[in-house]
Amino acid sequence: MKISEMGVERALRLSGIFLILGLSVEIVSLLWERPLAFLLFAGVGGTLTFLGIVIYLYSLLPTNHATKG
Amino acid sequence: MNLPSPQTLLYGMLLLNTVLIARVVVFPSVTASREGKIFAFVTFFILPILCGSMAASEHIERSKQAKFCVSCHIMEPYGKSLYVDDPSYIPAQHFQNHRIPVNEACYTCHTDYALYGGLRAKLRGLRHIYIEYLGTPPSAEKIKLYTPYNNRECLHCHLGARSFEGNPIHLTLMESLKSNETSCVTSGCHDAVHDVTNQAKVKFWSPTP
Repeated sequence: MKISEMGVERALRLSGIFLILGLSVEIVSLLWERPLAFLLFAGVGGTLTFLGIVIYLYSLLPTNHATKG
Repeated sequence: MNLPSPQTLLYGMLLLNTVLIARVVVFPSVTASREGKIFAFVTFFILPILCGSMAASEHIERSKQAKFCVSCHIMEPYGKSLYVDDPSYIPAQHFQNHRIPVNEACYTCHTDYALYGGLRAKLRGLRHIYIEYLGTPPSAEKIKLYTPYNNRECLHCHLGARSFEGNPIHLTLMESLKSNETSCVTSGCHDAVHDVTNQAKVKFWSPTP
C-alpha cells in the first residue's frame, strides 16, 4: 500500500505554499537592486524554495507500511 | 522580431512556475494520474531549481555592477574618484578612457584573476554587507585592502600590450613586477589611486550627456 492520497495531497499543498513563497521572494529580490536583495534571495527565498523541494521529495517516499507490504 | 531580454525571460519563468505550482496546490488531485505526477515533478523540482539557478546567476552578475558597489554610502567617495579630472589617477584614467568595462569598473580591478577569485570576492562582499548593516563601518578614508594590491590584476590586461611592454622601465622591472617585489601602485610609479582623503582638493570630470 502506498502513502495515502490524503497524505500526499497535504504534503503537496505544504510544499507548494513554501515554493510559491520562495519564488515570490526571489521575484521581489530581483526587483530590488540593493546589496540586501542578495541576502533576501539566498537567505529567505533560497531557504523557502529548498524546504518546498525537500517536502515534495519527502512526499514521494513510500511510508514504512508501504515498504513492508 | 525582438527577443525578450534574459531578465524578462527569468521573470516570466518565475511567474509561470508560481502559477503552475498554485494550480497543483488548488487541485492536488491532478497528480493522481501518471501525467500529473510528471507535471508535479517538473513543477515542484525541475523548474524551481532552474529558476533559482538563473536568479542566482542574475544576482551575481548584478553584483559586478559599479552602481551596485557604490550603492553603499561608504563607497560613494570611491565611485566619485572615477571622475577625478587627472590622468595620473589610475582608476579615473581607466574608467574615463574605457580601458575597463565602465559598468563593471570596481569588479574588474578588485577581483582576483585566479581560480576561485570571483568566489573570494563574493564572500568578501557578504562580509561587507554584514558590516554595512550590522557592524560598525569605518569611514571611507580608513578602508584598506585585505592584502596589498596584486600586480597580477594589472598584468592580466597589460601584459603583452604594446603600450606596456614598449616602456623600457616596465621591461627592466618585468620580473620584479611579475613577482610582486615591485608594486605597480605603491612603488612610486602609479601611486595616485582612489585617494579619497584628498578628494576635496581635486577637480572632477563631468561626462557630456
